[in-house]
Amino acid sequence: MTRSRLVVSGAAAVVAVGTAVALGALFLDSAKAAVGPLPGEALLLPADAKFVGGIDVKRFIQSPFYSKYAGPHAKARPEAFRELEEKTGLNLERDVDQVIFAGTPGRTGKETGMVVALGRFDRAKISRWIEVEKKGVTSKNLQGVLVYLFSEGTRGAGALAFVDDRTLVMGSQSAVEAAISSQSQGGKTLKQNATIMGLLERVRPDATFWAVGDQSVLDNMPKSVPNPGGSGQQILLPGLRSLTVSGDVDPMVAVEITGEANDETAAKNLADVVRGFLALAALQANQKPELKELASAVSVTTEAKEVRVNARLPYELLDSLQIPSEHKHRGAEGGEK
Amino acid sequence: MTSPAGATSQGRDTGKPLGLLEGARGVFDIALDSLVWSRRSLLMAVLLCLPIAFALLYRLVLVAKLPAQLRGFDLYGVIVALYYIRNALPLAALFYSVSLIADEVEDKTITYLLTRPIQRASILLGKFGAYLATTLTLALPSLVITFFLLMTAKGFDGLGASVPHLFRDMGVLVLTFLTYGAFFALLGVGLRRPVIPGLLFLFGWELLALLPGYLPRLTITAYLRSLVPHRPPDEGLAELFGSTLPALLCLEAITAMVAVFLGAAVWIFSRKEYVLDQ
Repeated sequence: MTRSRLVVSGAAAVVAVGTAVALGALFLDSAKAAVGPLPGEALLLPADAKFVGGIDVKRFIQSPFYSKYAGPHAKARPEAFRELEEKTGLNLERDVDQVIFAGTPGRTGKETGMVVALGRFDRAKISRWIEVEKKGVTSKNLQGVLVYLFSEGTRGAGALAFVDDRTLVMGSQSAVEAAISSQSQGGKTLKQNATIMGLLERVRPDATFWAVGDQSVLDNMPKSVPNPGGSGQQILLPGLRSLTVSGDVDPMVAVEITGEANDETAAKNLADVVRGFLALAALQANQKPELKELASAVSVTTEAKEVRVNARLPYELLDSLQIPSEHKHRGAEGGEK
Repeated sequence: MTSPAGATSQGRDTGKPLGLLEGARGVFDIALDSLVWSRRSLLMAVLLCLPIAFALLYRLVLVAKLPAQLRGFDLYGVIVALYYIRNALPLAALFYSVSLIADEVEDKTITYLLTRPIQRASILLGKFGAYLATTLTLALPSLVITFFLLMTAKGFDGLGASVPHLFRDMGVLVLTFLTYGAFFALLGVGLRRPVIPGLLFLFGWELLALLPGYLPRLTITAYLRSLVPHRPPDEGLAELFGSTLPALLCLEAITAMVAVFLGAAVWIFSRKEYVLDQ
């Protein structure tokens, strides 16, 4: 073998080993069943969910956003949080890693809203607290899982259950029971919802917060917006087939919103509407300089039928946007005096 | 019975040129040696392996001192989309590919190749194969190592979910070398001094990708950029008009470009008369 072939073979070996390790990580990783940012444990969410969202609580708590805006107000945090920790041992900041929610908006029939919380729970303490403190709570054993039912038999009956030591599910009774049954009997879960699964695959796996929704979620959104020119006319918004939101809060607040329009023209029209509002904000820069920075922090792009809005807001910009409202607030207080 | 004139002991008629692939393989072997062990490769190795140094820096310094400031996946996305696809890979393709034939002409060794019983198409294809093997040898391990260094900097959580990105990026990296390589090979056989036009193309013409409308479709980079899922924040024109093209269209356009550029390069090289300066 010549020296050059040896070099090529060495490089091929590195790539082969890397590929093998990557494949191993893909199939053997604990998050092997994960889809995009959705952890495998949350795949038990209802199959007929029209929107799914989540927040990486751990990352959020560690972010400058939390320390900047929530940290200083820690003392003002509800007394209920402290009581909750005393009675259940559950410290939301410390013990919860991720919260994932799903539901079907605007439905009057079967309730499908459900939340999955992943973290470390003192099951015994929480169970005791539910049994002692909560009125009208009943329980039943479903496929070996103890399910607590709240207001059982009524229309808005809720349920809570620990699927395992790390996974807490709560929501409407029907949704929680269906989720637990699907675990043991292999019923329909979110995995069977091809639309939502397809949307989830497009979301970055490491997003701090994210949400996806199909067309039915967007039916409830406004169909028109006021003309930025202020002529009193309305601009009709092109319909959207799906919406994906993801973002981070470290090192700055970054949000990416992707909407899929019905066709390429509609996507371009929608992008133009958003750009129009940004241009209007930039025009206001003489009166409010921070608006210019805000406008330049947001970009709008299109890709075939998709419109992508990217906002990257440094904390300095958020602070500058907050100052006028604080002044206004102080001014109002001064006026009252 | 006597063998026909020009027949070797293996039975090959030396009066006829070798088959296309057989000839290309022979040229590939010779060209690979000269490409891998060259100063150009040393320079390109530094250029293409620079992300490994960045990744090590991030792992050893940034993660330890600024744990919350920069995440591995973000840095990896920037390296792939901004460093590799937009700059380093096209530059490597330019410096290797334009010289596939131009070097032989400059060194006045083209005569030795052209007088061999091999088709001219074999010469170009063999050299193009050697270029691909050399550049991929330098770039693919660098990409894989960078990926693992960055993605495991804070532990192995989420590694599995990021693996599809790695595979996709590896594919786009190969397509980048193929497309730019074919285009610069065409420049190399068509022009006497192809480096300056190549640089002008890379850092002039390719900026059309930042403009609105259909202009980005006249570039190579717009198709390649659209294939990578990473979208690092842009500034200026890119931020204003940035758009990506559908993946299927990109793959079709890239396939067509490779076929046309390589076909045209082979056609020109097969017909061109090389008169060497004495």
